[in-house]
Amino acid sequence: MVEVSTKHNKKAAVSLPPGKEHTAQDLALIKQNKEAAKQCLLVADRLIKEGDFEKARIEVEKAQKLDPAHPYISAFLDRINYFEEQKKKNPPPLAAPKTVSPSPVPAPPPAPTVGAAPLPVTPAPAKKPVDTAKILPNLKTAPPSTPPPASAPKAEVDSKLEEMRNQIQELTRALLEEKKAREEIHEHQLQGAVNQLRHALEKAWVNGAPKEPEAIACHQLALSLNIPPEVEKSVHREVKIEMYSRAVKEVISKRKLLRSSSSTLEWLRKVYQITVTEYLENESKFLLDLVADQYKGTVILVSEDTKARNDLTNRLKASGYAVVLAQTPELALEKVEKINPNVILCEQKFSSDGALSGIKFMHILRTNSKLNFIPCVLFCEKSDLESLRASELRANEAIIKKPVDFDELTAVMNEKLIQFREYVSSLV
Amino acid sequence: MSHKILLVEDDEDNRDLVSFVLQRSQLDVELLIAENGEEAVQMATANLPHLILMDMQMPVMDGWHAVPIIKADERTKNIPIIAFTAQAKPEDKIKTKQLGCVEHYSKPMDPEELLNLIQKYLNSQGS
Repeated sequence: MVEVSTKHNKKAAVSLPPGKEHTAQDLALIKQNKEAAKQCLLVADRLIKEGDFEKARIEVEKAQKLDPAHPYISAFLDRINYFEEQKKKNPPPLAAPKTVSPSPVPAPPPAPTVGAAPLPVTPAPAKKPVDTAKILPNLKTAPPSTPPPASAPKAEVDSKLEEMRNQIQELTRALLEEKKAREEIHEHQLQGAVNQLRHALEKAWVNGAPKEPEAIACHQLALSLNIPPEVEKSVHREVKIEMYSRAVKEVISKRKLLRSSSSTLEWLRKVYQITVTEYLENESKFLLDLVADQYKGTVILVSEDTKARNDLTNRLKASGYAVVLAQTPELALEKVEKINPNVILCEQKFSSDGALSGIKFMHILRTNSKLNFIPCVLFCEKSDLESLRASELRANEAIIKKPVDFDELTAVMNEKLIQFREYVSSLV
Repeated sequence: MSHKILLVEDDEDNRDLVSFVLQRSQLDVELLIAENGEEAVQMATANLPHLILMDMQMPVMDGWHAVPIIKADERTKNIPIIAFTAQAKPEDKIKTKQLGCVEHYSKPMDPEELLNLIQKYLNSQGS
């Protein structure tokens, strides 16, 4: 909706339906209106000081039309009302000389003078809210512009001071609200502008680095939207990486038609101008994207039997697990905390002197609240099976006999992984 | 003015992949697609592309029949044809050359390599 104020030939109160964003033209108009409203309030302030409340009211109303959200409109109106009332109660003598300082009218109660009143486009007062504690002592020592008669009781003076204190507190609150509102408006406008830029960049980068005219057009759009250079740079980088990631997914879905996935990815990296640093920073994201449809989880396999370990590793990898190896439970403990695996597989017996057994390793994991819910499967000799199973196992633990039947192992792992994921989901 | 490339390929995934690669190249090309040799002959005559990528094994009419027809037509005989095929035996390469293909490109493809090859033949004839 755009209303037009014909007198000032300026558009007022630019607002849009919810969900629509301001264009650069709208933003310029809003800024212009705010400036015009500020000027009106300055004029109103002068008129109040001169005692011309009627004209002052007209100026405030003009300001209200231009910037309805201005936080001081109501304060100015209150101020005018207050002075009008004062004027009615104590009409000035006809020949009263015009005094310049202090103000010819009593100190304004609801709003500050223009010098102290922060208008929306003068950020300094809004950034530094009025400190009532500093002002109040002055108020106590400086007499009001219409001091009460010497005979006035002290209680009346105190009451007036109290009233002024309250008004200053009100002002401080209004200043803080204004600051907050302004920050929200700025954030909202910037977010809208960033979305617009992101959309344009996605279009430009869909098939790789854009040609020069497109790149220039995007940059000019960022300038016209008043997007700070560092924000533009960051959005640009995000979009580039996102588009590369999408292209990687697309090309990998057709990898059987490609001679080499790695050379294709290298080619794409050039097409999307992804630097090695950018690639490394986002490598895990790209790799997860690549294997997302196959990845089942990370397994730590603790075994000193090289052959059995290699066989099992190959089968686990072929089934979609990433496998991290550890030769002893002690080494595994170091890796578990770093890797945060989805499953731990461990032999029961280890030949080296002093090495932890599988079951002791399992007991250590139980004592660590960060690790004691990770599925843990022990491999043991058939002869040990009954005695180990007789010891109390927790829901995340299992024991299977050697030689490991891979189908049995995957069935146990799947069961425990489902429990594990349910548990993790319950924490989120 | 952009170059026209006619891709003759019955496999949809391969067509998509060539299209994906060409879209991401710096080449200013228009990709025309035919799904078999018969369509290829018609489209080559109608559009006079700058280059043809021809799969050799296709239903309806395969590349082994389509290439000689294109080469026999006065209007299309000078269009370079790259045999784009999974058949990589030396005798197949010789046969495609004998038919008049300028290159024999074996699938699976390497995007950069394929683009270099395409660029080579587009550059050789201008736009």
